[in-house]
Amino acid sequence: MSHSLHRRGTAESLSHDYILLVTAAAGINAAGSKDKLRRVLDVVWEVGPVNTGSNEVGTILSGVSIEEIKAGFTEIPRVRCVFDSADKMREVIRRLLEMDLGISVTVSGPRLEIEKICAEFGIKPHSVNLSLDIWGKKNELPEEEILEFITMCGHGMISRSLVVDCIEKVKAGRLTPEQAAVRMGSPCVCGFYNPTRAIPMLQKYVPAEKH
Amino acid sequence: MVVDQEKCIGCGICTVYCPADAIRLVTVDGKRKAEIDQDACLECGTCIRSRVVKCPRGAIYELPKEERSMGRQMRRFFSDPSTAHPRTGVPGRGTEEVKTNDVTGRVCRGELGLCLEMGRPALGTSVREIEKATMHLARCGIVLEDCNPLTDLIEDITTGKFREEYLDERFVSAIIEFRIPFERGEEILNVIRDIAAEIDTVFSLDMITCYDEDGTLPGLELCRSLGISVRDNCKVNLGVGRPYKIERQD
Repeated sequence: MSHSLHRRGTAESLSHDYILLVTAAAGINAAGSKDKLRRVLDVVWEVGPVNTGSNEVGTILSGVSIEEIKAGFTEIPRVRCVFDSADKMREVIRRLLEMDLGISVTVSGPRLEIEKICAEFGIKPHSVNLSLDIWGKKNELPEEEILEFITMCGHGMISRSLVVDCIEKVKAGRLTPEQAAVRMGSPCVCGFYNPTRAIPMLQKYVPAEKH
Repeated sequence: MVVDQEKCIGCGICTVYCPADAIRLVTVDGKRKAEIDQDACLECGTCIRSRVVKCPRGAIYELPKEERSMGRQMRRFFSDPSTAHPRTGVPGRGTEEVKTNDVTGRVCRGELGLCLEMGRPALGTSVREIEKATMHLARCGIVLEDCNPLTDLIEDITTGKFREEYLDERFVSAIIEFRIPFERGEEILNVIRDIAAEIDTVFSLDMITCYDEDGTLPGLELCRSLGISVRDNCKVNLGVGRPYKIERQD
């Protein structure tokens, strides 16, 4: 499923939001790929993702280690990491091209910037999954400011109530934006939530006397 | 999911985490206790993850499989991201869509892949709402992706009708996936407009389109010509997987 797609926010905010997905294809090149994907995680971990995890074991944000994530790889292994800058993503792609593993690499983020990086490395991208926005009964959706947090977990595990509760606690000075960003992201078990992006989104709720 | 009333101390720590707002604090014999509304619970598993909710008494649990109805088991497949449906073999609610498209060739040049992610974001969906969409699409001769957990709930693939016993089940989200020749893009996107006007929830719409040799994206141009909003952030398959496939051979 396209759980890294449909993230909402301003262009400036989304410019700090890139997700790497390295995925072995069932029945095609997944057999024997576990060790390759473990090497991939080691290599991209050095670049400094702000979150990573797996559905099987959870995320670094909730206290899981990289070793636990690697040990939990299934027979159809996948690496998912969130980065907070185009420069980091550029470096990750450079390293993956050097490894030349023949495993599919997909990047979620601003399209024009990703295409620019591809051109720099002489890559012709294969295909794109475009987000054509939300359709249907949109009047029942939470406010846009809440959706910006909720849509960082495409599986829908971050509840509206948790986002509101975190914002209220920041407003009351009971949580810092950094603490609220971690608490809010804990239900996102695959590790797509971007805590670094969430912090400035929460800063505006800090009471004036704390600034 | 169920709360063990003997263990629960009524601290309420769990309530805000539920994406379906199914957990409430109630008073039982003068004591505050958490209770899960079984109609509302989508079986996503968030409340039983010890690294997430951190219930001080471990009071929330899942009934053994033999005590759960088939409907409740289905809720889990469409709500809990850690669950892999036997049909797909991978966690999540659909195929790997664009993520492995360079080797699977699921969507090649001259085609469009479309996904209606029903209930996403935030609202969730009943099977009845999904059926409204699949019946519309079936009338246009659309063949839905077979490798998708929804396939097992459908009674008749030619009509898009679901099995009666699942119609009132609710999920966090479910993905209606299919592929069409590019030439049918305008027609089907207009059908999707009709679906959007009829359903009692939301869906997020995805379109998979391959880059042409000159780097253009035909799907993007089509959306622009129809006045359909395309967000700046997307998901790009870099095309480094092997064996490479971009033209339909069969």
